[in-house]
Order: sequence, then C-alpha cells, then structure tokens
Amino acid sequence: MYLITLFEDMGKIFVKYWDLFLIEGLTATILLSLMTVVFGTVFGAVLALVKIGRIKVLKWIVNAVVEVIRGTPMLLQLYISTFLIPVIIPAMNELENKKLICISLTLILNSAAYVSEIIRSGIEAVDKGQTEAARSLGLNGTTTMTNIVLPQAVKNILPALGNEFITVIKETSLASTFYVGELMTTYHIIVGKTHNSLPILMIIGIVYFILNFVLSKALGAFERRMKAHA
Amino acid sequence: MLNINNIYKNFEDLKVLKGVSTEIKEGEVVSIIGASGSGKSTLLRCMNLLEVPTFGEVWMEGKLLTPVDPYLHREVIEASNTYKKLVAGGIAPDEAIAKIKAEDLLNEKFSSAEGKEYKALIKKIYNENHLDINLARQKMGMVFQQFNLFNNKTVKENIMLAPIKTRTEKIKKAKIENALTKCLNLFRKEKKPLVEITETKAQIVAEAEAKAIELLKRIGLEEKADVYPSTLSGGQKQRIAIVRALAMNPDVMLFDEPTSALDPEMIGEVLDLMKDLAKEGMTMVIVTHEMGFAREVSDRVLFVDEGYIKEDASPEEIFRNPQDPRLKDFLSKVL
Ligand SMILES: Nc1ncnc2c1ncn2[C@@H]1O[C@H](COP(=O)(O)OP(=O)(O)O)[C@@H](O)[C@H]1O
Ligand SMILES: [Mg+2]
Repeated sequence: MYLITLFEDMGKIFVKYWDLFLIEGLTATILLSLMTVVFGTVFGAVLALVKIGRIKVLKWIVNAVVEVIRGTPMLLQLYISTFLIPVIIPAMNELENKKLICISLTLILNSAAYVSEIIRSGIEAVDKGQTEAARSLGLNGTTTMTNIVLPQAVKNILPALGNEFITVIKETSLASTFYVGELMTTYHIIVGKTHNSLPILMIIGIVYFILNFVLSKALGAFERRMKAHA
Repeated sequence: MLNINNIYKNFEDLKVLKGVSTEIKEGEVVSIIGASGSGKSTLLRCMNLLEVPTFGEVWMEGKLLTPVDPYLHREVIEASNTYKKLVAGGIAPDEAIAKIKAEDLLNEKFSSAEGKEYKALIKKIYNENHLDINLARQKMGMVFQQFNLFNNKTVKENIMLAPIKTRTEKIKKAKIENALTKCLNLFRKEKKPLVEITETKAQIVAEAEAKAIELLKRIGLEEKADVYPSTLSGGQKQRIAIVRALAMNPDVMLFDEPTSALDPEMIGEVLDLMKDLAKEGMTMVIVTHEMGFAREVSDRVLFVDEGYIKEDASPEEIFRNPQDPRLKDFLSKVL
C-alpha cells in the first residue's frame, strides 16, 4: 500500500515541480558535467603529455597531484577547495558566484586527473613498433605523435572518455552540498517545501538513470561505428 | 658508410654489447647471425640510434650520430684533469692513457670535473661532426620483424608519409626562417637574402605519389594501394614495409629478422626482393636466421655472441671453416 502512495506522491510532485527537475536541475547537471569533461579533457591532455614527456621534475609533480586526487574522496576535495581557493586567490572573494567557481575548478581538476590517466594509457597502448617505424624513417617526435600515435590512441581514448562523462554526471551530485543548482540541489529545494523526501529522491534517481542510460547507449553505438571504420 | 666504434649497450644492469666495432662499406651486404638474445637487434638498432649506445660512437658518411665518447679521442683524454694529474705524478703519457681507458677514470658525472679545456674540446668535436639524427635516419631505412606498417594509413599513405612530411617540414622551416629574416631586415642596413623555396606542397605530394605507385608496381601490389594494412598477408606487409623504406632513397638499409614472423610459404617473396636490392648495389645490414640466404647474398657475416663480435669473415669462411668454438656450436644447431 505504501508503494501506491509513493507513486502517487511522485506523480504529484513531478507535475508540480517538473520545471525544477527537468529545466533547472537537469540543465545545470548537464552543463556542469559538460564543462567539467571538456575542460577536464583539455587539462588532462596537458597532464598526460607531461606524464609521457621527459621533464622529470614536472612528471614527478603531476604524478603526485594525480595520486592525491585519485586517492582522496571527491566530497572532501570539494570542501577543502571552497576554503582553500579563496585563500590562495584572495580576488575570488569579490566574486558573486565564487562557490560555483571553486566547485567547477575542483570538478575540472579531479576529472583532469582521471582523464590524464585515460589518455596516457591510451597513448601507451599504441604498439611501440608504430613509433619506431616512424622515427626510423626520419620523422621527428611531433610528427610521429600527431600523424601516427594520436590517431590510433584516440580509438582507445574516446570510449573511456565517454565513461568518464557518465561518472562525472553522477559526481556532480556531490556539488549539491554547496547548493550549486544541479539535480541534487533540486532535492534540497523541493524537500524544504514538501517535507517528503523519498518521492523526490526517486524522481531524481529516474532522471539520472535515463540520462546516463541514453548516453551510454549512444556511446556504445558510436564505439561500434568507430570500430567498423577502423 | 657506417662506422661502429667501440659500442657498449647496457639495459640497466644487463650488459648486452661490450665493445663492438665494425665498418659497413658502401655497397656491402653484411649479415649478423647469433643465438636469440645475443644482442643482434640491439646492435642493429644502435646503428640508427633507436637504441642509444651507452658508450661508443656511430658515424655515418663521416658524420657523428651519437654524442662524443671521450675515450675514443686521445686529444680529449689528454685535455682532461685526470690525465694531467697522472702525468704530473710521473706516469708516462701512453701508460696514463691506457690506465684511464682501462679503469674508466674520466670523471663524467660532474660536467666540469675534467676542466674547461676538456669540455670545450668535446663540444668542438661534436659541433664539427655531428649530424641531426632525423636527417641521418632519412638515409637509413629500417625493416622490422613485425612489419610495423602504420595501421591508420592506407598502403599508399604508408609509403608517401615520410617523403612528404620530411620535405614539407623543410619548406615550413624555410618559411619561418624567411619571415624572421624579413622582420630583422627592417632594422638592417645590409639586407640578408631569403632562403629560396623551390617546391610547392602539391609538387611534393605528386612526386611522392608517383614514387609510391612505381614502388608498388615493382612488387606487384599496385592494386593494394588504397587498402589498409590489416587486410594484407604477412609477406605483402613486409614487402610494403621494405618499399616504404626505399621511398626515402636510403643509402643503407637495416633489416631485423625480416622473415621471422612470416609463414614459411611467404618467406621466399621477401627474400627475393632483398636479393634484388643486394644485386642493385644497396648497402644492407641484415639480422637473420636464414643461414642459406645469409650465405648466398652476404659479402661478410658477423657472429655476435656474449656481447662481442666473435667472428667477422666472409660467408665461405664462416660456414665452411668456423674458428670460434661457440660459432661452431651455434652452426651445428641451426644448420
Ligand atoms: N629495451 C630493452 N630493455 C631491457 N632489455 C632489453 C631491451 N631490449 C633488449 N633487451 C635484452 O637485451 C638482450 C639482447 O636482446 P636482442 O638484441 O633483442 O637480442 P637478439 O636480437 O639477438 O635476439 C636480451 O636479453 C633482451 O632481453
Ligand atoms: Mg632480435
């Protein structure tokens, strides 16, 4: 019987607040995730280049930072950064949405750490013989990288990058602790009005699930197409 | 053509080459034989610096490809503080040099430990003789056991890539240089001339394509020009890998067990192509387990064992009348 009440409540709440879920919450989640993955990928690519590069000091620093990021909980990183970043960059305090900026930077850095591993292993998975053949023909390192190694590495990297996107979508929910407006923040807002947690959580769960399910199916299809062309 | 001077190669604690010297003359076909793991590939890869020798020098056509090895230059040793100290201590010059070489006395950990004169001399020798490794490799083709055709390129693109890239990069460099000269000329009284750029990218591509087609015709695979390597047989892949190297008009070709990854029925077609090259006078260094082939095409055979060239002789002598006991043992196993 409780289940029927639950479904009824879910229906009512969704009808009343659908715009909060689908327009504000979902949009914010997608935008935040997209931004995180795009900048995380760019920054992660830079970190990956350092990792496979020859500058020992930089390598050591990047590896240390990446290990710390991968070895500590995301929520903790978010907390620390909201305190730490304004201390490091005092100018931040002037900004209106400084919390959002801190959260975004943390998400990006966190994602970059994982992406850098994805890219590094994607590059290193390309057969060494490909590089040796190119270099033995007198091509320089850059030409070899851009013409031979990267095009082949992309095939290893893109699928893993898609998975990272899905992970990030789920992780942005942690940012709700700081009320940045994404899906989980929607929960905090609506529960303040209805005082009925479970139906809201269920709705949000369904929205997340559909989003990620559609995305992972789309990625799967994309991956198959890419393999067919290889 | 190629001079290998006292090459040592260590992988961490593993000493693979322990002082190897040989000269590859123009037009010569030299085979390298030896047990598996004896360092044949390492020696070959040291020739084009895919492996950088730990000590020793590699010279191609009178140009130095490796860093300067001070132990190979008497005047460098004589300029070192270590030598000066020994001689000042009453040791005869020749003895001092021998001692330094034998006991590895030059202090190279701290680049200034041997004095300014020593450092300057090394720099001078390097600057006067050194050739950029990418330029050197453009004249040194290499063929690998695993073919290593570029998976993301068609057969034709595989062959065209290096000729196009190396030449267009020269143009790019010249253009940048010219832009810089132009800027600086604004402030100069005597204008510096610009570098002349004689070819366009379109010409380079057209030439590379014509050459690729010609090479594919030579091996009877022109209908494979636009397919990807994954669709080819091993023998086809290896013949394409060979003409890919030939597209750069190399002066010397290095082969690392080119038939070891092939099904037996495909070995012949690859060896035939290599024989043709040998007949045309190509300088070749071939690591191989095909003893019959080595005997037939080689001018000289090197037996590599325990980090040394144990025997260096004509194929007749190596196969009819081997001297080294380990070579006799090796031949009795493979023949
Ligand atoms: N990159 C490397 N790192 C460490 N050890 C290596 C490397 N390349 C070769 N070796 C080792 O050096 C020895 C000689 O190898 P190699 O030159 O390939 O022998 P061959 O070609 O005669 O079979 C082997 O013991 C091999 O394991
Ligand atoms: Mg080998």
